[in-house]
Amino acid sequence: MGIPSDDFLAMVRGALGREDAPPVEPYAPLLDDLAALESQAAAVRERIAGELPGLMTQVADTAALRGWNVARCAGVEDALDYVVSLAGRLGATSVARSEQEVFGAMPVDSALAGVGALCWPAVYEGAESRASVRRRLEECAMGITGADYAVAETGSVIVLPRRGLSRLVSVVPPVHVAVVRPQDIVGTLDDLFALRRLEFYRNGAEGGGDMGSYLNFITGPSRTADIEQTIVVGVHGPKEVHLVMLEQE
Amino acid sequence: MAEVATREFVPASQAAVQDTQLRQALRRAGSGFDGTRREAIAEVTPEVWEGWREQARRIKEHTIAHLDYYLAMLEKNVTAAGGRVHFAADAQQANAIVSEIARNAGVRTVTKSKSMVSEELGLNHVLEALGIDVFETDLGEYIIQLAEETPSHLVAPALHKTRGQVAQLFAEKLGVPYSDDIEEMARVARIVLRQKFLDADMGVSGANFLVAETGSLVIITNEGNGRLCTSAPRIHVGLAGMEKVIPSLQDLAVFLRLLPRSATGQRITSYMSMVTGPRRPGDEDGPEEFHLVIVDNGRSRLLQDPALRESLYCIRCGACLNVCPVYQRIGGHAYGWVYPGPIGSIVTPGLVGVAQAKDLPNASTLCGACRDACPVQINIPRMLLHLRHQQAESSDYNQRTASDTDALLARGFASVMSSPWLLKLGRAASRAMAGPLAKDGKIGQSRLPLLSRWTRARDLPIPPARTFRDVWRDELSRGRG
Amino acid sequence: MPERSCSANLAGRFAREIELTQPQPKRASLFVTCIIDQLYPEVGVSVVRTLRRCGVEVDFPASQSCCGQPLYNSGFTQEAKRLAMRTLDVFEDADYVVVPSGSCGAMLRVFYLDLFADNPDMLPKAESLSGRVYEFTEFLAEVVGVEEAGGEESGPAQTVAYHPSCHLLREMEVRDAPLRLLESAPRVELADLPDAEQCCGFGGTFAVKYPHISEEMLADKIESILASGADTVTACDMGCLMHIRGAVSRRNLPVAVKHVAQVLDGARDGESG
Repeated sequence: MGIPSDDFLAMVRGALGREDAPPVEPYAPLLDDLAALESQAAAVRERIAGELPGLMTQVADTAALRGWNVARCAGVEDALDYVVSLAGRLGATSVARSEQEVFGAMPVDSALAGVGALCWPAVYEGAESRASVRRRLEECAMGITGADYAVAETGSVIVLPRRGLSRLVSVVPPVHVAVVRPQDIVGTLDDLFALRRLEFYRNGAEGGGDMGSYLNFITGPSRTADIEQTIVVGVHGPKEVHLVMLEQE
Repeated sequence: MAEVATREFVPASQAAVQDTQLRQALRRAGSGFDGTRREAIAEVTPEVWEGWREQARRIKEHTIAHLDYYLAMLEKNVTAAGGRVHFAADAQQANAIVSEIARNAGVRTVTKSKSMVSEELGLNHVLEALGIDVFETDLGEYIIQLAEETPSHLVAPALHKTRGQVAQLFAEKLGVPYSDDIEEMARVARIVLRQKFLDADMGVSGANFLVAETGSLVIITNEGNGRLCTSAPRIHVGLAGMEKVIPSLQDLAVFLRLLPRSATGQRITSYMSMVTGPRRPGDEDGPEEFHLVIVDNGRSRLLQDPALRESLYCIRCGACLNVCPVYQRIGGHAYGWVYPGPIGSIVTPGLVGVAQAKDLPNASTLCGACRDACPVQINIPRMLLHLRHQQAESSDYNQRTASDTDALLARGFASVMSSPWLLKLGRAASRAMAGPLAKDGKIGQSRLPLLSRWTRARDLPIPPARTFRDVWRDELSRGRG
Repeated sequence: MPERSCSANLAGRFAREIELTQPQPKRASLFVTCIIDQLYPEVGVSVVRTLRRCGVEVDFPASQSCCGQPLYNSGFTQEAKRLAMRTLDVFEDADYVVVPSGSCGAMLRVFYLDLFADNPDMLPKAESLSGRVYEFTEFLAEVVGVEEAGGEESGPAQTVAYHPSCHLLREMEVRDAPLRLLESAPRVELADLPDAEQCCGFGGTFAVKYPHISEEMLADKIESILASGADTVTACDMGCLMHIRGAVSRRNLPVAVKHVAQVLDGARDGESG
């Protein structure tokens, strides 16, 4: 079948006209020791904290341009009201949510129960199988997740894996709601990747890192323009996406 | 490997320019994509845009120059994350690797998100021959799979199809009532494919980037099919050309800025998914197995030639297609293989052999619009010239495809132009020959073999009695302004 | 490309220095191009007349020949080098080499550097020439500092569509000079040419190797010219203009086809001024 990596790499070296891999001078210094990465990340965090009100407005504005319905909420109560009224408009009876920290402070399950919608964490326990949770996910009207980051530059929300079917909650249901807290906000893609690089090296076992299995950027609804360059939203992913921004937690 | 029809360039392009539906589709797409691209670029200052291009260029230059090093780093980190890396020297090996993975896991259904490498390998047919059902899930790819065609554009595979043609296709193949409402057609595809996503045992994706430092595969999509393909099935196989690697996570930022703007004029796409190994013990979503297949399939030939190496910097945004006056007249299929347009005219000869694709480097006016549009500043015209040079003068006989007539004409031209006497003689001869052909001081439609190729649609001037140097000698040299 | 920006900067500095230290007229050696020499001598006449009117001393080294571009573009670099070496010799001592063509100009300024990149004997010569080569309108606007190059005030008014030829635009990076000169010319009104920067489809041997594609591109260019409402189409390259004129003539269209020098010189279509 394939060829051993040593042979493949030797062939690449041959094409490059070299015998063996030379030590590489990085084209730009890349930090890989924890202390340096930590101070870099701390500087990023400090800058974000200093610019937070402006960045929150930038997140809201950019996200709206990219197709999010943006709701800036003074606090948890406002946010719950927004979600409840959205569920009411959709006539939702089943709402899936991820297992994220934000829902500890924002009791979305009980709020939705008050209007007759079952809000359930997309995990399987006991007798339920992965397949049956997936089927339930298929049928629900809305998926709610938190955000691990929201990027002001691009209007994107980043969701990392959690226990349960956390990848599918934000893509399978026709409506996705992402709840963003002030501490989730970063300015640029560079900020985000600097922070993730620190996490990568911090999480890793001896000599290596761990990224986690999945990092997903979501920016607006699912869309296609594959037929006559006409934009249609909601092809395989959600047609409607809401960014619920908590002004303070 | 996918069927190679590059030898048919001339008849295929002749048919293409006659196809009015194709022309209509190309006009719409070309001006649409390029218009939004220009708007997106205009939104940032030229300094910022050029800065991004330079930065991306530097990253690619550095990575490709140390490709072995970064591939080794990538392999180490994918493995550390619990995935497996396979290396394939050619299409046959790559197809065998994927087949073996599928066989071992008892795979019956495969969903695929868009992958040009998979098109290059002809993977679908190989899997289907094993009795596996394969479903393309990108809407454009799904359309051409149903039509049993190949993509005609790097970003918009079904660009050549009108809505009416798609509606007809859906009615025939899916048994749905004919509707050319685009929203309705997208809805039909969503419904049909949703079940496939949940049934599939294996998801196959391409890769826009591979991050060596973290062992991650990055895909950039809009529809959400890529997320489903990489999350729902129990096995995920990523296919990537070996040039897709970048060193660090931090390098990704600039490419996320450049690629969507250059491809569709979007500031960012709906989704960017970064997959690092299979699902972890805590996750309940995501594949149990993650395989990454790194493919050479001719790329080392491009790597080997310093003059062609930069073709491996390509991020497949398609901007060069959208600005290319030739692509815009003939579409993607006339190029005869997976990669069309200006960049295809470099990559295809490299991957299938120069002798197989001798028209591609020549079918360009060298207008340079592609180089200006390229987000990584690839100098496509210069590489086209290099390939023409190989065709004319390579010491490798297999590459030397220019005809003896061309070579004779070139030598003759150089001799005439080097000798004032021969030039005078040639001029006198051409005036004498032009005489009988000319009418009203010009040559109209002629049936003479070479001449007819000019005069089919254009009149040709006849050389006047005096050349400029005659006029200079007789009149101008004495005048002083 | 660094070579180009470098040569442009160098040229700019050079030009400024000369401006400051030398009040005497600029001396231009004309590289007339074979297409003008052999087929359109009247264009060369307009070039010379316009340069002289703008106070430039013009000389024409008679031993010049083809720059080698048709060969270079077809891959025959050995043959191209023969002609290139000759050109390098002919213009070795010229202050400025003025070329009424973006495509031949690009050959001299840009592609000779590639052609001789591996030849340490010739490369310095190619580099020296590269810094002294100017396209005709570029020379007038950037080196001589001409603001108005138009000729006689008499004669009919014309509405002119300017087609920026590809090598002029993207290899020599000359964008504004021809437009500025045309705008300043008496009796000339510039028309707005749709999709102006689209290639006309000439491309040298491309026009006969792939006539079916070339003709499609030409048809669109003609359509744009007609849509612009211009009575005259102009460019800085006789190759493109021969191709455009070929279709104008075949279809008997009421459009005059002129080199920019002819427009500036006030010449009538096909007239030697």
